[in-house]
Amino acid sequence: MPSFQSDDQRYAPTLPKRRQELLKWNGWGYKDSKFILNKDNHVELTGERYRLSGLTMPLLRDWMIQTLGVNLEHKSPAQPERTAADIPIPIKNEAFLLDLKKAGIPFSDDSQDRLFRAHGHTLHEIFILREGMFQRLPDLVAWPASHSDVVKVVALAAKHNVVIMPFGGGTSVSAALECPVTESRMILSLDTSQMNKILWIDEQNLTARIEAGVIGQDLERWLAEKGYCTGHEPDSIEFSSLGGWVATRASGMKKNIYGNIEDLLVHVQMVTPQGVVEKSCQVPRMSSGPDIHHFILGSEGTLGVITEVTLKIRPIPLCKKYGSIVFPDFESGVGCLREVARQRCAPASIRLMDNEQFQFGHALKPESSSYFSGIVDGIKKFYITKIKGFKPQELSVATLLFEGTNEEVAAQEKRVYEIAAKFGGLPGGEDNGQRGYMLTFVIAYLRDIGFDYHCVAESFETSVPWDRVLDLCRNVKDRLHRECKERGVQFPAFATCRVTQTYDVGACVYFYFAFNYRSMSNPVHVYEQIEACARDEILANGGSISHHHGVGKLRQRWLPRTVSEVGIGMMRAVKQYLDPQDIFANGNLIGPGQLESKL
Amino acid sequence: MSSSEEQSRNSWIIEDDPSKVSSKHKDGFEDILEERRRTSDLRFIFRSRDVPVYKYSHPRSAQQIKDDVLKSDRVKYAVEQVSESTGTSTKEVYEEVQAILDEMAHAYKLGAIRALAMVLTKTMKRLYRRLYVNEEGINKLRSTIKEYPVIILPSHRSYADFLLVSYLFYNYDLPLPVIAAAMDFMSMKFMGWLLRSAGAFYIRRTFSNDQLYWAVFTEYVQTQVCNGDAPVEFYVEGTRSRTAKTYVPKLGMLKASLEPYFKAHIPDLMVVPISISYDRTLEESLYAYELLGVPKPKESTSGLLKARSILSEDFGNVHMFVGEPISVRQFCDGKVDRIVHSTAPRYIASLTESEEALIQDFAYHVVLEQQKQMIISPFVLIATVLMQNRDGIPLRQLVKEVEWLKRQTANLGGYVDWPGSESAESVVQHQLQLHGNILTLTDEAFVELRQSKPPPNVSKEMQRDIVISTGALQIMTALYRNQLLYLFVRVAFIAVSVNSSLHDTLTLDELYQRYSFLEQLFQREFIFMPGHTRQDFDKSILHLTHGGGLMMDDNRVLIKRSTNKYSTFLSQMFEPFLLGYWVVCQYLLSLPGDIHGKPLPKTHKATSQDVQQLVVRLLQEGVVKHYEIQSLDILGNALLSLTSMGAITKDKRNGEVYLCPNQIVVSRISENLGRYIDLPSIPGSLLVPEVKQVAVPAKL
Repeated sequence: MPSFQSDDQRYAPTLPKRRQELLKWNGWGYKDSKFILNKDNHVELTGERYRLSGLTMPLLRDWMIQTLGVNLEHKSPAQPERTAADIPIPIKNEAFLLDLKKAGIPFSDDSQDRLFRAHGHTLHEIFILREGMFQRLPDLVAWPASHSDVVKVVALAAKHNVVIMPFGGGTSVSAALECPVTESRMILSLDTSQMNKILWIDEQNLTARIEAGVIGQDLERWLAEKGYCTGHEPDSIEFSSLGGWVATRASGMKKNIYGNIEDLLVHVQMVTPQGVVEKSCQVPRMSSGPDIHHFILGSEGTLGVITEVTLKIRPIPLCKKYGSIVFPDFESGVGCLREVARQRCAPASIRLMDNEQFQFGHALKPESSSYFSGIVDGIKKFYITKIKGFKPQELSVATLLFEGTNEEVAAQEKRVYEIAAKFGGLPGGEDNGQRGYMLTFVIAYLRDIGFDYHCVAESFETSVPWDRVLDLCRNVKDRLHRECKERGVQFPAFATCRVTQTYDVGACVYFYFAFNYRSMSNPVHVYEQIEACARDEILANGGSISHHHGVGKLRQRWLPRTVSEVGIGMMRAVKQYLDPQDIFANGNLIGPGQLESKL
Repeated sequence: MSSSEEQSRNSWIIEDDPSKVSSKHKDGFEDILEERRRTSDLRFIFRSRDVPVYKYSHPRSAQQIKDDVLKSDRVKYAVEQVSESTGTSTKEVYEEVQAILDEMAHAYKLGAIRALAMVLTKTMKRLYRRLYVNEEGINKLRSTIKEYPVIILPSHRSYADFLLVSYLFYNYDLPLPVIAAAMDFMSMKFMGWLLRSAGAFYIRRTFSNDQLYWAVFTEYVQTQVCNGDAPVEFYVEGTRSRTAKTYVPKLGMLKASLEPYFKAHIPDLMVVPISISYDRTLEESLYAYELLGVPKPKESTSGLLKARSILSEDFGNVHMFVGEPISVRQFCDGKVDRIVHSTAPRYIASLTESEEALIQDFAYHVVLEQQKQMIISPFVLIATVLMQNRDGIPLRQLVKEVEWLKRQTANLGGYVDWPGSESAESVVQHQLQLHGNILTLTDEAFVELRQSKPPPNVSKEMQRDIVISTGALQIMTALYRNQLLYLFVRVAFIAVSVNSSLHDTLTLDELYQRYSFLEQLFQREFIFMPGHTRQDFDKSILHLTHGGGLMMDDNRVLIKRSTNKYSTFLSQMFEPFLLGYWVVCQYLLSLPGDIHGKPLPKTHKATSQDVQQLVVRLLQEGVVKHYEIQSLDILGNALLSLTSMGAITKDKRNGEVYLCPNQIVVSRISENLGRYIDLPSIPGSLLVPEVKQVAVPAKL
């Protein structure tokens, strides 16, 4: 059984303890990577980390001007980095601090450390970082190094009535990390980043025991060195943590092969104010009453701290291949995905972009790079638009990722392309597929350059039964456009969607939405109203409150309608038993108001 | 200096004599016939049409629509259910579906549409002087069609309605609507085919128990609503109004059309009410005799050809007002929870109770909008005055009264089509000419009701019967007076309550009680928004205290000081209805009882025929003077209303509905009603029908 040493230099984590040294304090990702308007007035991605890094995207500027009505002369720069003086003074619980010191747990009340952990990445939060300040921040950050450290911290917090907000990768998009403004107790941000080790790998059973603070890219890299992977690849894989995945019911793009987090999870340990909850065995399945894992999955930090997880692992596949299919329109694409799901022959990933997103992806094409060559270039473009009669303003593209042995991949490809052909789809080449996936990783960076030019942008997602996929996509986009118009947004909004996951009974749909807010006084408020309308529309269309982003505080108003009042009561009863003092008072899922009134 | 002044004037003004300016344009309206009179019809018919299309629509042929219905989940589900319950094979049931579809579906063809446009252009030019359309409404409609599926809901007072709407859409290069039509038209030889090809689809009148028909009908309507192939047009009143009053809305078709929004098939649905106002209604005399009990002639092409004689008559102008599109989403916002449809296939579950209630409100909202958009012809004012001066009136006095009434109408927000450049007398004279078939101006400048010619389906004996012919004349005049009632009904109910009060003062609460009794009683006769009684009452009180002479002191109405010309006029305007309903009560109270003292039940039809006979006897004896009370519409409405008030219970026997009056409730209502009017005394002998009756072949 291979083991990993905590001080083994080979397994040094990517991110430093003071993450703000490597990551942006007020935007997405690494400080070195940023979309800028270069000296030639073209959009360029700085740095060397990504395939697009150092390249210019000559079509993107015009896309921004034409699609969003951006005016390059009118910038909306962010405020300078916040200093200690700008940040509210922390509330101190001296007795707790003394005990924490005695216990030997490292902690900090440095203002930058606190600020970094005061937020996730919703539009609202980033806007506050760029233009204002949070009313309430964590008062202290602590870095337990192990499960037993966490047990100590939770016990001390309970003893001194201190609030704990677990913090993993900080990539939440549900306002889950925002501190409740009315909280008058000391708030401790429990940073799990120092619990990042793979404790063991069990090759007999193909499982690995992993500390919950590990971030996705480190986990996959370290497992790869042993020839394994978990196959769990959420779009935030570079920064999000294992504990966070469990706490939000995360989903990875390759779930068709590896499963979502709940399918990968074999065993989990959670420290609650009542003690540690875990199962006694790590078996494939058992009948033991309601599955306690399902109280932990999606608990969003309201019940305790997830410390250690046993996940399934798989040998790294021999063959990995991208692909794409061009469809005459979105409807035929959805038809194809539905058929693929019916035949249960989905490759590792299959996603379908609508026309707007296809065009957006096209605008991201970098200049003169041998690596990238678009499918709709030259002869192919001629073939698709002229011979096959596809309209550039209507066509839709599916991106594919195949994994397995060479033979398996070849067989999968054949079957998927055969189905596609029945829906009028033509193979569109590997590059196009790869670029489609790249879009997912750079989109968060793109939002920051949008901010610089009066554009607010956000993504949100849902899951929906097959029979309603098309209606939901159309109706939600229409609602977004209409709400923008009615709220006086001066420029046409950008609303696009893609089907990102297929299931037996339905699909996951992901929306991007952006608009130019020039000449509006309160863009974030307007944005939030519009997103709320979009969520209402989603629910009215038979969609869910969320497929994998979670509820947090952003979506809690729809939770009672989603799970019924009785369902809320069940959640409340569990919370009441595990955490009667409300130590884990981040206010997610069931709002503090709702909680108090019923407790 | 004077020359430069003249120059500047001339450069701006081409014609400053109002009598020389054509009336092609007026106050937001445009006459769309004028150009047709000046240019080639052929070029108009064969020009290319740049038609707006719903942005999410997939183009489909009429045949593809049928195929899609055949393949739909809803129809499949219904076929399986029917097959299971009847033991018929699904194949056979599908054949039945195909037959229903063939009977129902339109066969939209551009060629046929052009042919119809040709026929219509020629016909319209013959029948009408001008066809006015509010251009702004057309512009809004045009942009709406691109954004959302559209439902067209015209008012319905003539067969010409749907022809006019199609002509309008053709004229403005809008996609011709598909029209839900009654089966009667289908059997017409050439016309049935032509209308089908121009977008008419045929719906059976009753099919609520036929699961298969219901499924095919629902799917056929909804697939077209969802895909927005063409605007879907139907009449929310369900049938042609024979009285020119707005009928209480029917909900079946509306439910089927709105359901796709509740089930989130579509982002929104825009409903466009269109109000069509006629200076003179084509069917005026047919309606009058129908209301007296003469059955309407069957629709047939030969009948249509026989009716050609009307082509030589003058029917004045038509005004078409295309209303503001109503967003179903906005109307329903916050009132329904569409999530309830998330847990079952959308083709199985039906609408919820709250959605159905909302659709009823919506339907009332639409018909109230239609009323508001109506254009009131000056003749409507003339008819209203004449209905209160049924023995005639000197022209000078008529002009004075009409001008007075015009002001009252405008004060309530009514839009009178009054030419600003003409004297009141010439306006009235012109109208008397146009309606010369029912009105005459004698050499002594006296205006009286006088009928020139009854329709051909009326027998000689009937024409000679004075009660019938006077009835027809008055009902025909009432057809125009009726167009004003919607505007005055609320204030009139207050006026009636005040005028008939025996006290010196009346508290607002007492007045409200009296008002709401009338509203409840006349719920089938006039349109009241359900649940808005108090708002309507408050608004009307405000109107009357501000400009109607209603005197209040400390929240009490001062009866004597509040009785004036206006309130008297209003009372008289509605007197026939109050009296008619009272007579119905008297009839019900006179019914002989069985051994338990309960009256023997009768069918609705038999009951209204019997009441009509009673009215005839009362008229013959001069007990009542309002000949329009013979109208089966008034009598039928009264029965329906009494039923909903619990005064009549319905009993179903052998598939026929029998009415059983509850004497206690009837007498209470009758007593209450008697407080509002001067009651005639009915000799007991008249209540009991004699053996020898006046032959009125009443047929409903």
